[in-house]
Amino acid sequence: MNTPLQPRPALAGKRILIGKPGLDGHDIGAKIVALTLRNAGAEVIYTGLRRSPLQIAQVAVDEGVDAVGLSILSGSHKELVADVMEQLRELKAADVKVFVGGTIPAEDQPHLRELGVAAIFTADMPLAEVVRILGERLA
Amino acid sequence: MTTTAPLDRRALGRTLSALANASALDLAQRPLRPVTSNPARRIGITGAPGAGKSTLLGHLALLRRAAGRLGVLAVDPSSPKTGGAILGDRVRMDELDGASELYIRSLGSRNTSDGLADNLPEMLDAMDDFGFAEVMLETVGVGQVEYAARAQVDTLVLVLLPDSGDTVQAMKAGIMEMADIFVVNKADLSGAQKMAADIQRIAALSHHDPGSWVPPVLLAAASQPASILALSEAIDRHQAWLGASYRQEVLHDQRARYRLRRLLEMRITQVIAEQGVAFFAAPLAEQLLLTLELLRRVSVRP
Repeated sequence: MNTPLQPRPALAGKRILIGKPGLDGHDIGAKIVALTLRNAGAEVIYTGLRRSPLQIAQVAVDEGVDAVGLSILSGSHKELVADVMEQLRELKAADVKVFVGGTIPAEDQPHLRELGVAAIFTADMPLAEVVRILGERLA
Repeated sequence: MTTTAPLDRRALGRTLSALANASALDLAQRPLRPVTSNPARRIGITGAPGAGKSTLLGHLALLRRAAGRLGVLAVDPSSPKTGGAILGDRVRMDELDGASELYIRSLGSRNTSDGLADNLPEMLDAMDDFGFAEVMLETVGVGQVEYAARAQVDTLVLVLLPDSGDTVQAMKAGIMEMADIFVVNKADLSGAQKMAADIQRIAALSHHDPGSWVPPVLLAAASQPASILALSEAIDRHQAWLGASYRQEVLHDQRARYRLRRLLEMRITQVIAEQGVAFFAAPLAEQLLLTLELLRRVSVRP
């Protein structure tokens, strides 16, 4: 009977950057996800609004993160995701996992997965599910 | 500035992540590090939450990066419940991004409650190894436990707010003897002058030996570039004074003690966390003995 009372949180010890590339100015979704990941034990770095893909990739490298989450509501997700992933490759950080959240139409999802996106989270997804999937992908 | 090779940000980013996750035993197994011939200057910025530490540090960094490779380590609090953290200091250091010899890193305080972060001494060593000329450390805004930060940096700047009752807080906590430079920030607010005068009067009560450093009390505001410049110059004056004094030896001794204590604290925390409910049903004396036994049961190769 030597079991600790609290299990280790799903994302303990993980560092995750939440970035908002592009021009839309709504970051309540990004903040809610940031808080959810923090409550699951992750260290979450938030970039603030309207960062360029290069800025986001640079911060990901400096902060030594395990994953980058991109919150995009502007409809430019295909271009922005491709840009961020390209910049990460340039900075020799292609092993950093990228996931995307926001308003992503179902028909765009296969394309994003082809780009190498590790997970796509839509607004209707329960937050517990987001944590579970991330825990799996970052294990 | 002995290094001419560009900063390998990817390697440093990974090194610091690995160090942050290292256990007490991992650290104990590391080989003894040779004494750095060219350590980075270490500047600490501390003060209560909302005092404006991040903003001030951002402006200082813009000024001081001209003097060589500059690193910023900014600590934010981790949740004691889950260990998670929102690291938001870099949002306020916007203008810094993209400068190639400037590196910003956010740290979660993790299991520490002294304003610093787990394994910070090792991370500061890593900054030396990566050729930084200067490292600026921003502590968690705790206000009353600056002793740990005191030992880790050469120059400690305490940021205070006008009219916040900080004078009394500062007297209580004994911070007056800790800080090398006092800054009354947001000096455009009313009460700043009076606050600075009060601090000056209190500081004057402390005994200063001839030749010792007398902490200046400065007024600063992010909107007044001249005040940031004055702060930066005060830091330089303190660094110059340090070079000519025996203070460095005292700091080295304090750092060695802090490092060992933190390592033990981490290990003890880990051992206690691993115990189940049954363990704590035993009498306290027995719990203590068992814990000591468990602590011994690790192989640390000297």
